Amino acid sequence: MNTLKLYLHSMKVLLKSQMQYPFSFCLQTLAQIVMEAGEMLAVLLIVNRFQALNQWTGGDLLFFFGMMSISFYLTECFGRGITGNFAALIRSGNLDTFFLRPRGIMTQVLCHAIDPRRIGCIAVGVAALVLGCQQSQVQWNGMKIFLFTEAIFFGMLLILGLFLIEAVFAVHSVKSIELVNAVTYGGRSACQYPIDAYPGPLRVLFGTLAPFALVLQVPSAVILGKPLLGIDGVAAFLCPLSGLVFFVIMYFVFQKAMKFYRSTGS
Amino acid sequence: MRKYFSTFLMRWKMETQYRGAALGGIICQMVFGLILISVYRALYMGNPQSMPLSAIVTYVWLQQAFFRMLLSSDNDLMDKIRTGGIAYEMCRPVSLYGYYYARIMAMKLMGSLLRAVPMLVLASLLPEGWGIGAPASVPALLLALMGLALGLFCMCALENITMGITMRTIDFKGFQALLNLLMTTFSGNILPLTLFPDAWQRVVRLLPYAQLLDAPIRLYTGETPLHQAGQVFLIQGIWLCIFVGIGLYLWKRNTRKMIVQGG
Repeated sequence: MNTLKLYLHSMKVLLKSQMQYPFSFCLQTLAQIVMEAGEMLAVLLIVNRFQALNQWTGGDLLFFFGMMSISFYLTECFGRGITGNFAALIRSGNLDTFFLRPRGIMTQVLCHAIDPRRIGCIAVGVAALVLGCQQSQVQWNGMKIFLFTEAIFFGMLLILGLFLIEAVFAVHSVKSIELVNAVTYGGRSACQYPIDAYPGPLRVLFGTLAPFALVLQVPSAVILGKPLLGIDGVAAFLCPLSGLVFFVIMYFVFQKAMKFYRSTGS
Repeated sequence: MRKYFSTFLMRWKMETQYRGAALGGIICQMVFGLILISVYRALYMGNPQSMPLSAIVTYVWLQQAFFRMLLSSDNDLMDKIRTGGIAYEMCRPVSLYGYYYARIMAMKLMGSLLRAVPMLVLASLLPEGWGIGAPASVPALLLALMGLALGLFCMCALENITMGITMRTIDFKGFQALLNLLMTTFSGNILPLTLFPDAWQRVVRLLPYAQLLDAPIRLYTGETPLHQAGQVFLIQGIWLCIFVGIGLYLWKRNTRKMIVQGG
């Protein structure tokens, strides 16, 4: 509980410091909105030309897109310490100071950055989600709201876990590894669309190794009333837990990697 | 002219030092390419279009291969503007505009060639329907290369304008991001411009963003017939003149009235 309080307090302080430059903040948030709107435009234009992707209508596609961008950018906003430039922390030697303080490394890394500009992207995601719900005529009820919240929450943990891979590599190589982008940003791009559009290897990648499909898409499909890969009922509520499992594994790998951490000495 | 050329060569050599990073970039870009192609394949399965799927696949690969040309790249100058180091740059006996133009050109060209050549080889080895198609004809390939060169000149000039604005406002992230995002959407990187609604295409194709990759790719796939190549080059040339004009004016004004930030 104490850790949580510490985290919330840091977020408040960081937010206040970022708000000291309101003009710059507005400009950058605007840029984020236009950027994400560009991605949404692509989905709209695809729907305009092709009408549907397998059994998924335009509304469904917008819903999937919204789910992905909300959880991805919430992570980028609140988990900025890890999703941002973790390698820079190592290269600059700033990580050393974290070892001297009486708190966990992970806590401190998470506490040292926030990216409030992402609110722009999240807003676009919400807009896509609302539009998608309208077009696909989603009937909300208690169960669906619970499933939605669960998916977003565990989605955030999964994404954080994926970025931890990059952090672990950075401990050994000092530089950030562009290759990991294939599962993080690649996962985001790929899983904006339902996974049954993809051939086998990509399905395996995003269904089991980096289980975006289980965490975000299975619940989305149930909310839309068209179960994905035949997963429905209680199983749909259990699938997002794979995000938690992934995060816990990566958390321990990260802790292990920290034991090997050697300061760059600058 | 020689000094700009040697600036170009110096930067070129520097870019070749990071071959490891390029390898990671290639794999990453290949995965992105495969993801996009899978989506378009699935979409075509349900609703085939007049434009053949193979043309879209080729379009995606060429976009991915030369992706690096789209990114704005010269962070050194951004830092110099912010820290005041730009004052030293003014001491060089060269036109600053030309100097940075050559640098950006080298970074974009080398950065993308290092990735593009192996990527295109790999993409051509992929099975039918997944891999890149051959150019429409040999003249089409040559014209496409010419278009790519002209487009690259355009992009470097455009980037110099962003830098010019940065010199005045210090805040670069906002403008850079704004420029970049219009870029990824309207260059055809997120969605091929050939899949935009036909009415939009008439306008979007004329925008500067379409000149770098979209125009040469259309020449490559033969979507723009050979006899229209002149028109394409004309549009590119017009944008190039406009951008260089604005850029030169901005930089000249900036160097005359430069406010150096304390370092």
